Amino acid sequence: MPRNSEKLNLSWFLRHPLVATCILLAMTVLLPFLRVGERVKLWALLPVAKAAGDEAQSPAEAELSEEERNLLELRRAREQAAALLDENNALRQALAQRSNQPQDLVSEFAQAPMPPAVDARVILKGDASSWRHSCVLNRGRKHGIKEGMPVACGRTLVGRTFMVDEGHCIVQLLTDPGFSAGCLMVGQGEAPLRVRGVLRGDGSARPHFPRLELEDVAVGERVEAGMKVLTNDFSGQYPLGLAVGEVREVIPQAGFLQVRIEAYLDLDALDVVQVLLHERPTLEQQAMQLLRKKK
Amino acid sequence: MLERANNLTHPQYRWRLVLGVGLLCGVLHAALLRRLDLGEWQPDVFSIAALYFSLYANRQGRYLPCLVLGLVRDFLSLGLLGSYAVLYSLLHKLASKARLRLDPDHFVNAAAMAFVGTFLVNFGYHAMLALSGDGIGWSRAAMRCLSMACASAPLAPFVFVLANHGLGRLGVQRLAGGYVNV
Repeated sequence: MPRNSEKLNLSWFLRHPLVATCILLAMTVLLPFLRVGERVKLWALLPVAKAAGDEAQSPAEAELSEEERNLLELRRAREQAAALLDENNALRQALAQRSNQPQDLVSEFAQAPMPPAVDARVILKGDASSWRHSCVLNRGRKHGIKEGMPVACGRTLVGRTFMVDEGHCIVQLLTDPGFSAGCLMVGQGEAPLRVRGVLRGDGSARPHFPRLELEDVAVGERVEAGMKVLTNDFSGQYPLGLAVGEVREVIPQAGFLQVRIEAYLDLDALDVVQVLLHERPTLEQQAMQLLRKKK
Repeated sequence: MLERANNLTHPQYRWRLVLGVGLLCGVLHAALLRRLDLGEWQPDVFSIAALYFSLYANRQGRYLPCLVLGLVRDFLSLGLLGSYAVLYSLLHKLASKARLRLDPDHFVNAAAMAFVGTFLVNFGYHAMLALSGDGIGWSRAAMRCLSMACASAPLAPFVFVLANHGLGRLGVQRLAGGYVNV
């Protein structure tokens, strides 16, 4: 017997799990198109990011005595000096990492020109889901960053910007299952090898020691352990020549090769990264580039 | 009848608990668990918390807390908004049915329910990833979910006992049937 007195209002919907589940599923389908969820999520993450960042609110200085104001200034100067020292150390580390790139990569790829970059500090690492991998940077739209730009540490690929706010952005790391990038495997031998593949994040359980896989490598391609894996600019999403890792194992499957690679990156040691101001060219721009190459 | 009467009492600390537990679990997952070298054997504390609310909360306060806990997890992660919320609302349905047959105060029952619950939540999440084209392969995902479920199951009985004790210390009423008035 249906209860006629029950009103169809919001609380009725929320009390009935199946109805609410359908609403949430519909939201799950619609929100990615509207990008509302991502904006709301960024808004929710920002207080945490700001708390972790260097944007502490200053007290009401007008109410302080001169002595207290001097003390405050002294404390600020000390904090600034400590922050600069930290930044200096981090930049030195980044420079050392850049210069420690494997010597085998010194080829046309390693010398490929890099787009201009914005240095950024990682202010929050980690994700509440065991399946997703992300981090928050202290640079955003006002520094010229847009969604989808590649993020690197030296010449090593880290991920891409996923959500961008005025002063912060969230990076989807290369170990995230939603991450993919066209790559080239380059062999150093008498006859240099170049094999294409697609790097896919696998939600690695050890993001600080990632082992990734390359997909869409056709059977019959000559892939050997020790080959270097670099980004490919075929789709225009990433610039040519960002280092990803080294081939460790090749397992033949039906129709394709499963290529396991060991990433160069130590995600736990990430402190200062570079957001490359590189945008994917439009179809028209890509067509023009192809025409120019043919001429 | 007694339970029905008890359930009508005003829930205590419900939303403070949900938000506090959600944020605590988020920090645990983001900051602590990923630093420990556990590999695939990472416990899913968020799902254990959702299971606790499903099994122990006041009859009127099981579904919405689970949904909100899922939304908190969605907000603090990169995935689609609503993914965990849907999974936890389904987990609440399943747990409510299981509770009619199994007593969660029993160590083995609690561990078994946590094993099944954690496995299903994570496998469901992978199913959503696979639907959007980001799956990592079903057999590999199943193995990973099994590892996570194995790591979470032994924790659940201790978490449930600690939570009951903590809520008791906070002065939260116990209801007939072993429920707590949150």
